[in-house]
Amino acid sequence: MIAASVPKVELSQISQRFGEALALEPTYLSIAAGEFVAVIGPSGCGKTTLFNILSGILSPTSGTVRIDGEETTGKPGHVGYMLQKDLLVPSLSALENITLGARLHGRVSKQQREEAAQMAAHYGLGDFLDHFPHAMSGGMRQRVALMRTLAFAKDVMLLDEPFGALDSQTRLEMQQWLLRVWVETGSTVLFVTHDIDEALFLADRVVVMSPRPGRVSEILDVALERPRGLDVLTTEPFMSLKRRALDLIYGREPGNLDSSGSDS
Amino acid sequence: MSRGVAVTPRASRRTWLTLLTPVLSILGLLIVWDLVVRIFSIPKFVLPLPIDAFATIGEDWDSISRGIIATGQVFTLGFVIGAALGFVLAVVMASSKALFQALYPIMIVSQAIPVVAIGAALVIWLGFGLAPKLVVVAMIVFFPVLVNVLDGLRSVDADSVNLARAMGASRWRNFLVIKLPATLTPLFSALKMSATFSVTGAILAESLASTTGGLGVYLSTMQGRFNTPGVFAAIIVLASIGLVAFLLISVWESAATPWLRTSVVPRRRRFRRGTS
Repeated sequence: MIAASVPKVELSQISQRFGEALALEPTYLSIAAGEFVAVIGPSGCGKTTLFNILSGILSPTSGTVRIDGEETTGKPGHVGYMLQKDLLVPSLSALENITLGARLHGRVSKQQREEAAQMAAHYGLGDFLDHFPHAMSGGMRQRVALMRTLAFAKDVMLLDEPFGALDSQTRLEMQQWLLRVWVETGSTVLFVTHDIDEALFLADRVVVMSPRPGRVSEILDVALERPRGLDVLTTEPFMSLKRRALDLIYGREPGNLDSSGSDS
Repeated sequence: MSRGVAVTPRASRRTWLTLLTPVLSILGLLIVWDLVVRIFSIPKFVLPLPIDAFATIGEDWDSISRGIIATGQVFTLGFVIGAALGFVLAVVMASSKALFQALYPIMIVSQAIPVVAIGAALVIWLGFGLAPKLVVVAMIVFFPVLVNVLDGLRSVDADSVNLARAMGASRWRNFLVIKLPATLTPLFSALKMSATFSVTGAILAESLASTTGGLGVYLSTMQGRFNTPGVFAAIIVLASIGLVAFLLISVWESAATPWLRTSVVPRRRRFRRGTS
């Protein structure tokens, strides 16, 4: 057990300006080890800015990023990172793409290859290790991309709409698959999505952001039991959380909603 | 694995067809040439029969083989130098916007000047040796390589570069692993295109800056004597040099870019559990 006083990821007073425009208001966010946090909000709400700051490729105008209590502001290489585009290197096989992190730091050792292959096989990619990306389906490619993220840094993973380009059936499969990976690896996950169902289905907490300037407008606790099956999507607690989120995003007052009474 | 095995017979038959088709079509071209000369009774000093042109290659083999060596040297060295310069300059120009904006106009101007004009100046500066000829050929190869490799480098998704940065990759590693593979296809397109241009360049260079040796000199000697079979002998040899260069580059391209043709990596790159 990690002491509750040291969060896995902590953003303090992070803000970002691009010229005159304020892309992100000073933001505080703390994520516990092993927590699954989703971020939803319309485009322009600063999600991508937040991600680039967390991954270290963007230095914020103000504020600090801490991972395990250690400051990593503006320093890349501490967290895994995955986008809607799989960004697989077309000239590398699935396994070579999974070990991309090691390749980018020099040679891929035999042990790294073995471990990556074992992990990929465990998560259903065993038959595709030697395939080039063009020979794989969209869902498979996203699995490879997630394995690449895991192989590089399984502690903290930033997933920016990773399933956004998949058809809805594949997406449902991928969500359940991701939950399995998350449970088994104990990763801390920050997951950006446009899809409220996806956010509520996956996450422990949902950070709702709003645009101009980008800011955190509310954080919803998703107190739904785990493991979650697809049937959770139609339960009353899920529905009331969804109504809440819709109201937050589209800016209506939650006045006449019959809430389940216990969500605050 | 089993799928790979099942595909093999059909794939190998296709390989044979792809090898056979060009041979047949060139043979067809020679037959058409032969028929045209015979049907229209074209005199030998206007257009010789293919067989006469080939016979001349045999008769003049001494000077032609020396010509192949001399011209081949100009062609090969000039080609390699031009391609290498084009590639390196593309990488340099892609690395900084300021450098790109400063150098690109100069590159375009360098192409707007006719090679013949540059060649004349080069002869004055460098004399009749190998150097001016190499420069002429290199100038021809250089530009397509530069432009294509630049396009390849700029086609790389900025998010891919960011991903590699987020993984803590150095600029050099990022270039090597993410960007370099994207230059291969456009690079090979440029090389194939230039392979045929550079033969022309080599002949042109020889006509500007040679007194002995190369096929360009052989060609103008034959032309001076109104020896049409000799001219066509030179044409056939020159075309063959271009063709061989083109084929060699194509074979190299196939080996260097397996992902464009197959779904599984080459055998030596496959994963084997627990082996040395």
